Amino acid sequence: MNEFKSGFFVGGEACEGRVLVVDDEPDIRKVVKMTLEKSGYEVIEAENGEKAIDVINSGENRLLLDVVICDIRMPKINGAEAVAYFRSNYPRVPLVVLTGFPDPDMATSFLRQGVVDYLVKPVQGETLRSAVARAVEQRELARL
Amino acid sequence: MVKVVLLCNRATVSLQGDRLMERSDPTKVAILGGGRGGRALLDLLHQIPSIEIVGIADSDPAAPGLQRARELKVPVTTNVPDLISDHGVGLLLDVTGDPEMEAYLHAHKLPTAEILSGSASRLLWKLIQHESKLEAELLHSEKLAGIGSFAAGIAHDINNPLQLILGLAENLTVERDLAAVHEQARDIIEAVKQTSAICRDLTRYSRRASPHGNVMVSVNGKLDEALKIARYASSFHDIEMIKHYQSGAAVTGNPDELLHVLVNLITNAVHAMERRGGTLTLETTLLDGQVGVRISDTGCGIAPDNIPEIFEPFFTTKAPGKGTGLGLYNVKTIINKMHGTIAVDSQIDKGTTVTLTFPNAEPVGQGWPS
Repeated sequence: MNEFKSGFFVGGEACEGRVLVVDDEPDIRKVVKMTLEKSGYEVIEAENGEKAIDVINSGENRLLLDVVICDIRMPKINGAEAVAYFRSNYPRVPLVVLTGFPDPDMATSFLRQGVVDYLVKPVQGETLRSAVARAVEQRELARL
Repeated sequence: MVKVVLLCNRATVSLQGDRLMERSDPTKVAILGGGRGGRALLDLLHQIPSIEIVGIADSDPAAPGLQRARELKVPVTTNVPDLISDHGVGLLLDVTGDPEMEAYLHAHKLPTAEILSGSASRLLWKLIQHESKLEAELLHSEKLAGIGSFAAGIAHDINNPLQLILGLAENLTVERDLAAVHEQARDIIEAVKQTSAICRDLTRYSRRASPHGNVMVSVNGKLDEALKIARYASSFHDIEMIKHYQSGAAVTGNPDELLHVLVNLITNAVHAMERRGGTLTLETTLLDGQVGVRISDTGCGIAPDNIPEIFEPFFTTKAPGKGTGLGLYNVKTIINKMHGTIAVDSQIDKGTTVTLTFPNAEPVGQGWPS
């Protein structure tokens, strides 16, 4: 729901931020996209860490991408490697981890690396939206 | 290139009629020696319902076996006479490696107690002859230990459909487009089916192998079933699958046990390719009345020094607590029982091929009931 964010609407179009969802499961990308689009985010997708790195390196994304939501257990470049890549190459792009397997050690390590939130599936829309909203806020501050 | 062929040259050790001893009470066992062997026996035997461990003794109170026993709430002592004079003890397992211990035990044990002395793996072998149910228990306990490693895979495979279900259901509370409502409801139904299939596969796998069971089994079907199970145990990401199945490959045996063998071998193959990916090839053949099953990986390979030992009980290259050391031991026991052979062909950094050969269950070219 986007009633709290109405101030960000431009010309009637929702423009809350651009979110990259990285997950090897098309169903997860679909449902995260649906949840966030309803709240006015623009959502782009990548099916693994390698594709995610391609996406962030291409065109305007390096400037316009606001948040990356990243799964952990994925083929090619997995989530942990992708997170490490994003942190070192795009330290200003906030990350939210969304994983199917809760692992306290991994969670601690990600939060130490500056990940905004570590969410375990299944996550409610409200929790996801609040994590993404915090991440976008962080991104806005970094741009100032 | 190291090549080892282990032929089925001895009959299975257990479940032979004349050794069958029906017991209603568990066998009371005392372990003497708390080194690595004592610890391995303790880890294994404490899970087995037909065995009760009355205690473990070692002169060193900090011995690893004694430490483990404290965790398991098994009585520990540094005093051997105390332990062996315990009245219900039926079996003394001596893994001290001390040549004088055996003589001491013979002189001081209670008349009803039996003694087994030697290395842990030798004792296990003898125990199986002693305790008819042990072989089935070993298989089951190793299987259950393995299921612990499925946690990450199961969590991933259940939480993903749950995420879909939750997201869609949340959306349905506000969705006004009837066509979208119908489509999302159908997606939810599919996701629920997917989740319940996981539970069904796993409960089938984790149950005890059915005791009666020499039937005709389709090897190709079992390989596919084993693949599904093995996916929980290890990540198949970055692994390319090649299947060459000869139709009509059927063997005679216990289907649950054959499944266990195949899950074990596929899981090993995938673990060998864990870091860098590779190709997993599953192949079945029918040749000269023999059914061949080949499982090949392009992984790290097995060190030549280790190959002669891989079928030994308690042999493992995994970290403590990560492997029971009984996986391939159980594999070989089952294959022997099926009158089959297992051959391992491995090269460091190139990969491993495991070839199983069984007598064909049926004349070539005929089908079998699926």
